[in-house]
Amino acid sequence: MNDHPSDAPLDPARSTLLDLRLDALRRAAAAESAPAGLEAALAARFRTHARSRRWHRALAPLAVAAAVALVAWILRAPDEPHAATSPPASGKTDDGPFLALRPLDVVALEPGVTVVSAQFPRALLAEWGLPVAPDRAAEPVHAEMLYSAAGEPLAVRLVR
Amino acid sequence: MTMAPGDPQPELALLARMRRGEEGAFVAIYRRHRDAVYRLALLYAGSAGTAADVTQDTFVHLITRAAQYDPARGTLGAWLCGVARNLARRGERETPVDPASLADDAALPEDRVDRDTPLECLLRDEAAEEVRRALAALAPHYRDVLILCELSELSYAEAAQLCGIDIGTVRSRLSRARSRLAQHLERYAAPQGARESAHE
Repeated sequence: MNDHPSDAPLDPARSTLLDLRLDALRRAAAAESAPAGLEAALAARFRTHARSRRWHRALAPLAVAAAVALVAWILRAPDEPHAATSPPASGKTDDGPFLALRPLDVVALEPGVTVVSAQFPRALLAEWGLPVAPDRAAEPVHAEMLYSAAGEPLAVRLVR
Repeated sequence: MTMAPGDPQPELALLARMRRGEEGAFVAIYRRHRDAVYRLALLYAGSAGTAADVTQDTFVHLITRAAQYDPARGTLGAWLCGVARNLARRGERETPVDPASLADDAALPEDRVDRDTPLECLLRDEAAEEVRRALAALAPHYRDVLILCELSELSYAEAAQLCGIDIGTVRSRLSRARSRLAQHLERYAAPQGARESAHE
């Protein structure tokens, strides 16, 4: 017999003999079955896994809700300190309308206006045509001034 | 021997029910494939204990990673056989092997040929046992195609997919594997014949 392995295809006789031998192994293997105890062990494993998946499914909406709440809180959080530390210049928002110091069409067309809190002697109001009691002329007045981008006063609103 | 294609829909429906947590569906799938998986594992591993472990791990894989199965790539049976093959071969790799022994024509050392496990032996039949020994002595890539194409119910295409080679390579490798197996069997037979002649 040749000691060196040959890759040449088997001749029909050897091929048939090999088929018979493989068939013997095939038949022997076919007689084997998976151990009986495996099914119960795997079924138990399946139940455990299915239970844990059910928990995951049940908790998933809660997890999503918690995530949404967290994101909302994170998005809102920066606004809250701002609201606490930067109140409107007036401290209140219902102090009434601004009184125009310039023609309304000029004020309306003015780009980049700025509102600035200010405090000045009440006597100054008289210069804008507002009535001032002489005995209170020296008192300070709190107001919000609307300035143009060039620094010109456009309107004023008194605040309490 | 090839696996009949059949209608995959009933099995896919079972799989869907299994994934929804129906134990009955899992048991039905298990009963349908357990023996094929066990026999394949037995052919690779050679021992009943290892084959049982491989079978268990294969179905645990199905329980925990069923989403990995893609029906477009083949039948569930072929996928399970692929998982079993990989697990069985992983077990083989845990035993260090001299690379030289993996040469195509290298017979495995005597101590690696599974002769001494009668209680765990796959085959009771003497002729089948001879073939099993010769099979165990083949290089892994030849043993692979023989087990998958000749001894299991997988098509060449399925074997090609499991081995990660093209179908032409499966055919040529199978042809060479059959030659090598025949030569191994003749080598085993020759000393026996010589011993019988000496007795006469």
